[in-house]
Amino acid sequence: MEEKRTSKQCGGVLPFFIGVLASLIVGWWVFPQVIYSQKTQPIDFSHKVHVEGEGMDCESCHMFLEDGSFAGLPSNEQCAECHEDVLGETEAEEIYVTEYLQKGVEVPWLVYQYQPDNVYFSHKAHEGYECTDCHPDVGNSDTLPTYYENRISGYSKQTMKMWQCERCHAEVGTSNACYVCHK
Amino acid sequence: MGIDRRTFIQLVTGGVVGSLFTPVIWKSLDDASIWSQNWPWIPRLKYGTITEQASVAKFGAAPCAEIVKSVGGSPYLTRGNAENEMSKGGVDPVSASGPQLMYSLSRVNGPMKKTAEGKYESISWEEAEKVLSEKLAAVKGKKGKLAVVSGDTTGTATEVLSGFAAGMGAECYLMPSEEQGAAVALSSMGGKGQIGYDLENSDFVLFVGADAMDSWGSVVRNQCVYSESRPTGEEIKTTYIYAGPFQNSTAAAADRWVPVAPGTGAIFCLGLAYHMLKAGASSSASDFADFKTLVMSRFSPDKVEKATGVAGTEMAAIAKRIMKSSAPVVVAGSEFAQGAGAADVIAASAVNMLLGRINKEGGMKILPELPKAVEAAAGRSELAAKDFVGYLAGIASGKVAAPAVMMSYEANPIYALPQNTALAQAVEKSGFLVSFSTYMDETASEADLIMPNPTCYERFEDAQTPYGVGAAMLAASAPVAEPLYNSKPTVDVVLGVASVLGIDLGYESADEVYQAKAEKAGADWDSLIEGAAYVSDSTESGSIKFAASVLSKAVTMPKGGEIALAPYSKLIIGTPTVAIPPLNVVAISKFELMGKDLMVQVNSKTAKKLGVSEGSKVKLAGAGGECAVRIHINEGVMNDVIAAPLGFGHTAWDAYSSGKGENISKLLTVGTESGTGISVWTSSFVSIA
Repeated sequence: MEEKRTSKQCGGVLPFFIGVLASLIVGWWVFPQVIYSQKTQPIDFSHKVHVEGEGMDCESCHMFLEDGSFAGLPSNEQCAECHEDVLGETEAEEIYVTEYLQKGVEVPWLVYQYQPDNVYFSHKAHEGYECTDCHPDVGNSDTLPTYYENRISGYSKQTMKMWQCERCHAEVGTSNACYVCHK
Repeated sequence: MGIDRRTFIQLVTGGVVGSLFTPVIWKSLDDASIWSQNWPWIPRLKYGTITEQASVAKFGAAPCAEIVKSVGGSPYLTRGNAENEMSKGGVDPVSASGPQLMYSLSRVNGPMKKTAEGKYESISWEEAEKVLSEKLAAVKGKKGKLAVVSGDTTGTATEVLSGFAAGMGAECYLMPSEEQGAAVALSSMGGKGQIGYDLENSDFVLFVGADAMDSWGSVVRNQCVYSESRPTGEEIKTTYIYAGPFQNSTAAAADRWVPVAPGTGAIFCLGLAYHMLKAGASSSASDFADFKTLVMSRFSPDKVEKATGVAGTEMAAIAKRIMKSSAPVVVAGSEFAQGAGAADVIAASAVNMLLGRINKEGGMKILPELPKAVEAAAGRSELAAKDFVGYLAGIASGKVAAPAVMMSYEANPIYALPQNTALAQAVEKSGFLVSFSTYMDETASEADLIMPNPTCYERFEDAQTPYGVGAAMLAASAPVAEPLYNSKPTVDVVLGVASVLGIDLGYESADEVYQAKAEKAGADWDSLIEGAAYVSDSTESGSIKFAASVLSKAVTMPKGGEIALAPYSKLIIGTPTVAIPPLNVVAISKFELMGKDLMVQVNSKTAKKLGVSEGSKVKLAGAGGECAVRIHINEGVMNDVIAAPLGFGHTAWDAYSSGKGENISKLLTVGTESGTGISVWTSSFVSIA
């Protein structure tokens, strides 16, 4: 009777550990790949061409406005200061000028660090940090990083989570009171 | 090795246990919670370039020059335009809500017509204009068949409507305002133009009835002038006295409040004139002798005290104080910016004449009207003098035939008129009511055709010489934003319909009209739309007289012994055209609205006389209707007076204003002013039913 029961257990507790192992593999290897979809930016923008080629710096396009707010990504109006017509020979620039600028359509850039509306983030208050402390270092890159979009939440993989904000605030002694970020 | 039930359970259990040590559950839960921020019905902020543009806001009772901040082309914030003389950098409590009112839930989304079932159905602008043209074609040239009413006293849009009405052989009216009584007063005194007051250069201002800090004239400008004349920590340049029945905002800001019975402003002014004449004041006006005889015989201190409640010695002291000042001015008006008639302004003007303060710096000014843009339109004072309330009272009593078509622009007559129940019914008697309202207000809710006008942020707009300011001026603005809904500027609608009906108003579009107005006034259009105001320093030449014969008939002594109603108007509670802005709801005092109950105010002596106490729920009955209210005891109300706020009791609009309190306009009693024949309703009496 005892012998029969053992044989039906198919190797004792082995199935349990197989289940654990399979779950760990799915959870740590498959899931992180499946949860994010990969997207590319609408235009293959080269920061390197603008920085090295034209001598521009970050603040040429990503600047603070007079009232202290941060302009974020440049609009067509700013880009048109140089790109009213196609200047170079790249396909990316031609696409931008003909498909967006000339049609009056703003480029739907994918923002890696997009924060939801309920988060009030002031770039001015974080002016002392390097841009690359939070943003991908694209200044000297010819290509833009792949944008990973969370299939459930819809946010970018690089979007800073609240615990990251809180940790940094705690480290530098800034208040973590709710109203600091949620108005 | 087969997989039996036990093995399967072990496998699944292992899988579940293993998953607890992976991010699958925890990350999915976290992401799902974040995903819930993105449900489609959750409002999203708009991001984009932040811009600023000058504008002229017409949300409040008087035009307000503003700087509107927009993000990505959508207005979100406004502040006063300090470079514009019209409102001197101030922003009133209604205009401050301008961007919010632009996105109001009460906006009419597009043209609509009422169906046979009494519901509204959306139609195209082509159809709406066709319906309007057909209705108007049937009444063109037929006297009394079309009536037009505008609530915009300062805009050139009203000139277009007036010109159109003239082309149709119809009458164009303005909604009741202080300007009506002032226009009739100036005309009675033999003057032409518009009365204004140079408050900023005066060293002594006596407001009689006129609630300058909440309803009289250009309120925000008055407030700025007051502020400039009394800089914190510095010498006070101007002394203010307020004479009225209730300690309102102006009385609270003034150096002294003199309690004066409602509707007795003219008697108070003539009582002052008595002491001035006795002290030797004189004038070169042709009817000075008649005026002096009238005052000395009928407005002796004892009679004035009996009518107004102000003792003769106090009147004498005030008169002495005024005469001692180097640049005094007396300003009279209604305590709630309507219905005072002409007598109060004539009487106050008489005091200013005795003081020699006509067209003097810091005194009462007679301002020129800016040239008309539309030749066929009535002049501003001519238009202001027309009696819309009298016209509707005639319809209500059956003496005047109701029009076949009534057009209502920037006005809400069904809500805002005095003796409201009867006069609203008179409006509804119109064969075909057309509302150009931006919002689904009480009048739009009864209209047969609604043709929504965009907000002032979405259209060209202008404003000329708001009533009360001390100089002729003009401000204008271009659209700040694209129209949010399917609205169309009324001026464009009227110009188009006029063209169909063969009426040439001289223009094809609204911006042409406004530009022509600026050009004829001598103003630079580009400067105007960039935020500057055109200001003229000219005044009308020619003298005015006392209009003693008009005063003799128009000013009568009250019977006394009754409980007088003293309505008051606070900008925070909205205007006759715009209901309580959502942002303002939280700022309404619990002494004005408790839950959904309207609070009226009496002093303890009156409360005892009426047998009521704090919080008592009573029914006030006037000649025109009843209102259920609660009592609040306030010693800032004079004896035998009930002070009650206007602006509540909306039945349309939105949750922020509808069903809150009562519309006190129902209690106002419309009478006729002897001598001028215009409608008046500042002397209304109530009883507790």
